[in-house]
Amino acid sequence: MAASSRDLPIVGDSFNVGYRFQRYWDTPMANAFFCGELGAGIFLVAAVIGSMPGMLVGLLLTSLLKTWFHMTHMGVPMKSWRAILRPDRSWISRGLLAIVFYAGFGFAYLGLAWLGLAESMGISESLVTFLKALAFLSALVVATYQGFAMSHSSAIALWNTGMMPVSSLVYALSGGVMVNLLLGGTGMAPGLQSNLVIAGMVMMGLLAVVHLSLLHAAYHGSPAGRKSVELLTRSFYAQWYWGVTWTVGIIVPAALLWSAGGSYAAMLIAGAGVLAGYYSFRVLIFKAGLFEPIMSFRP
Amino acid sequence: MARWGMVFDLHRCIGCNACVIGCKQENSLPDGVLFTRTLSEEYGVYPTVNRVYIPTLCNHCEDAPCEKVCPSGATYTRDDGIVMVDSDKCIGCGSCAVACPYDQRNELKADLFKNGLFGEGELTPFEEQGYIRFTPGMVTKCDFCSGRVDEGLDPACVVTCPTDARIFGDLDDPDSKPSKLIREKGGRAPLPEKNTKPKVYYVNWTT
Repeated sequence: MAASSRDLPIVGDSFNVGYRFQRYWDTPMANAFFCGELGAGIFLVAAVIGSMPGMLVGLLLTSLLKTWFHMTHMGVPMKSWRAILRPDRSWISRGLLAIVFYAGFGFAYLGLAWLGLAESMGISESLVTFLKALAFLSALVVATYQGFAMSHSSAIALWNTGMMPVSSLVYALSGGVMVNLLLGGTGMAPGLQSNLVIAGMVMMGLLAVVHLSLLHAAYHGSPAGRKSVELLTRSFYAQWYWGVTWTVGIIVPAALLWSAGGSYAAMLIAGAGVLAGYYSFRVLIFKAGLFEPIMSFRP
Repeated sequence: MARWGMVFDLHRCIGCNACVIGCKQENSLPDGVLFTRTLSEEYGVYPTVNRVYIPTLCNHCEDAPCEKVCPSGATYTRDDGIVMVDSDKCIGCGSCAVACPYDQRNELKADLFKNGLFGEGELTPFEEQGYIRFTPGMVTKCDFCSGRVDEGLDPACVVTCPTDARIFGDLDDPDSKPSKLIREKGGRAPLPEKNTKPKVYYVNWTT
C-alpha cells in the first residue's frame, strides 16, 4: 500500500499523523499586519489626493501601532533590530527597511511641506516632491511585503499563492480609501468625495475577486490548502468568514456606497465595515493555515 | 567533509518514544518542547487493520526554507550539512516556523524557563545546567546533537533507539549504513514536492 495524504484529520499538537495548525503567527502578528498595511494604504491614498492629515494618520498607524504589535509578538524583542540584516533573502528584512524609509521620508516630507519648514530652511520644492515620491514608494512596499512574506511559505498552502501580496495591496488601498473619506468628512470637495466613493466601490469588487482567487488557488493547490478552504467556508470559522469578512466587510459597504454614497453616516458605517472585514481576514488567514501531513499510509 | 543524514526504518520503529525522551534529556528541553516525535497512524479496515509509527525530526534540508527566510541570520548550515540556530542571533519572529513544511520548529516561550518542569516557579539542577544554551523567546529545533557528532558520537535519539530504527551517518559515503539503506531499500524523503532536499529518509514505506 503506497503512502499518501488524503482525507486525514486535523490532529493539533498530538503524536498522530494529520494536518497541523500553524500556531506561530497569531493575533499579535495579525494586528501588526493589519496596522502596517492599513497605515500604508491610508498614506498612499492621502498622498494621491494631497491630504496631509491622512498621510500623518497613515504614518502614525504604521510606525507606532505596527511596531508595537510586532514587539509583542517577538520572542526576543530587544534583539528585533537584527531583523534588518538579511534583505538579500528575507521579506521581513526588506519590509523592515521599507518601514524605516517610509517613516523617515514620510515624516520629513510632512515636516517640510505641512509645517512649512521647507520655506524657512530654503529647501527647493523639487526636493520636497522627491521626498514624497520616496515615501510613496516605501509605503507601496510596506503595503505588500507581508503578503510576499506569507506567499513565500511553501509550508502553508493557503498562503503559498501569488494572490497573497495582491490581497495585501487591495485591502490596504480599500482601507485607505475609506479612512480618507471619513477623515475628509463633510468638508471634502464634492468631486473628490464622489471619486473616492467610486474608488471604494471598485475596491469592494476587487476584494471579492481576490477572495475568490485565494480560495480557488488554495483549494486546487494541495490537500492542506483544500482543508484550509473548508475551515474558512464550512467550519467554525465560516461564520466569521462569511459573516464579517464577506458580508460586513465587502457586501454591505459596497451596497451602502452604491445607494447612499454622499451620506456621511453611510460612509461611516461602510468604513467601519471594511475595517472589520479587513481585520477578520487578517486573523482568519492565520487561523486557517495548515501544515501538510508528513506522510500517510491511508489509501 | 561528511554530509550527515538519517534514515528511519518504518518496519523497525515500535513507537516506544525512547528517542523522544533521550532527546529531551540530552538537550534539556523545557516542558512541551520536542525536537523529535514519533507519530502514529492506524489504517485499513477491520479485520485488516495496521498501525505504523513514523519518527520525525528536523530534516536538515539542503535547500532549507527556514534558513532562506530568517531575517536575522540566526539559522545557518554548517559545512557538514547540519542546519543550526544561533541562540545569540535569533529574535523569535517565527518566520522559520511558518516556512518549515515539516513543522519542526519550536518556540521557547520565556515563561517555560521561569515555571520549571514541575510548574512551581523553581528550576531543578537539571534545568539550570541545560537552559543556559537557550535564549528565552527564541525559536529552535533539532541540530542532530551537533555537540555529540563533533565528538564522533551518534545523536542521542539514535543511541537510545532499542530497535535500530534510526540510522545516522555520512550520506556522501556510499559505504555508510544510511547510504546503503537508501540505495537498497529505496529511501524516500518526506514531502518531496516541497523541493527542500531533506537529509532524512524513510525506508520500508510499504506495508
